[in-house]
Amino acid sequence: MQLTVLGGFLGSGKTTWLRHQLHDGNFQDAFVVVNEAADTPVDDALLARSTDLAVIAGGCVCCTARGELVELLRRLCDRRSAVSSGGERLQRIILETSGLADPGPIVEAIRTDPMLVYHIVVSEIVVTVDALHALAQLRSEPLGRRQIEIADRLIVTKIDEADPASLARLLATLSRLNPGVTISGAIKGSDAPLPAYHGAAPEPLHDLSGESIKPPIFATTLALDPSIDWTAFSVWLSALLHARGDDVVRVKGVVRTPAGRLLLQSVRKVVQSPEVLPEQALDAAPKDDSIVVIGRGYRSEDLRRSLRSFARAGRS
Amino acid sequence: MCATCGFPAAPGHWTDAGAATGPDRLRARFRRAQVLQAVLPAYGLSAYDGGLIPGIQISTRSGAETIVPNLTDVWVLAEKLTGSPIDPLDPRFLRAGDTAS
Repeated sequence: MQLTVLGGFLGSGKTTWLRHQLHDGNFQDAFVVVNEAADTPVDDALLARSTDLAVIAGGCVCCTARGELVELLRRLCDRRSAVSSGGERLQRIILETSGLADPGPIVEAIRTDPMLVYHIVVSEIVVTVDALHALAQLRSEPLGRRQIEIADRLIVTKIDEADPASLARLLATLSRLNPGVTISGAIKGSDAPLPAYHGAAPEPLHDLSGESIKPPIFATTLALDPSIDWTAFSVWLSALLHARGDDVVRVKGVVRTPAGRLLLQSVRKVVQSPEVLPEQALDAAPKDDSIVVIGRGYRSEDLRRSLRSFARAGRS
Repeated sequence: MCATCGFPAAPGHWTDAGAATGPDRLRARFRRAQVLQAVLPAYGLSAYDGGLIPGIQISTRSGAETIVPNLTDVWVLAEKLTGSPIDPLDPRFLRAGDTAS
């Protein structure tokens, strides 16, 4: 079986790209595995059109949830072996990693597993790169660099939102970090041509190994109980992103509002227009009204206390 | 998401996405002003939205008034007027959250 690993930093557009590929009919025969670092998965709601899908939530498959991934892949191998060679056997697996995953240890886990090594070939490591935020990430995040360095193919996303000079600089930097890698562009998941960047100067990236290590990025799930209305929540979140947009790397979740179920997503200070999701019965949508905040430099409990204070405003 | 593979996006500023009908929008504007008015006075600012003209009216203690179109611009303006961003993780908000139940 062929395994495609889809990686990339938090909010770099992995799910958007995969969703569009599935919509276009690519990877139709594939089993999709989605990994999210947070306990409350969101991406599976977006990929619901994929027929075969499994979610590994609450840990990164490159470290804490590696055992879970190996177990799932073994089950898929067993399932495949149970089908006779003339039948329709599973041919391909797509693994969308969490934004905090290093694809290296994942590949290593497969190559060193006595069963998986005979059944699974890692055919390609695709890594999405956010044209708006990648340069800043590469300057300070060792993980962002490792993800780029290990890729076979880089998809530079959001290229319509980046200014041409920064985009050329990013492309030159990517070529220097991973010479020979295939680089293509994407806008909202669709392929888009990249501008020429020959002659652009790459970003001078200094060695991060000797620096004091930043605190790890972690995920916090905020339950939005009925006392927290959308308006108070949006006042709070807009203020939080303005003040702490460099620490709050990613926000995502589904919120029920008078206007319907909204899928909210942000990457640093950039908030995407919420998507209006189809209505579902309350018991069928247990993940609604919880928001995952991924970042560093604050305490989870402080986010909850702060949000409570905004929700209480004017109600006492 | 693209136009074909995603779900429809709510129009306007993202913070306005929670209200789709006229009455809901008006209710949301009043509530927004109410929340802002609980936050901003500690920083020497006040917020007002009468629901008639678009935008949020931000005033300083000296009486200077500015109308901004959305919440993102409220925080940008507040930082400009006060010299630093209003941080929801400031201890004053954390303490207020503790007493809420």
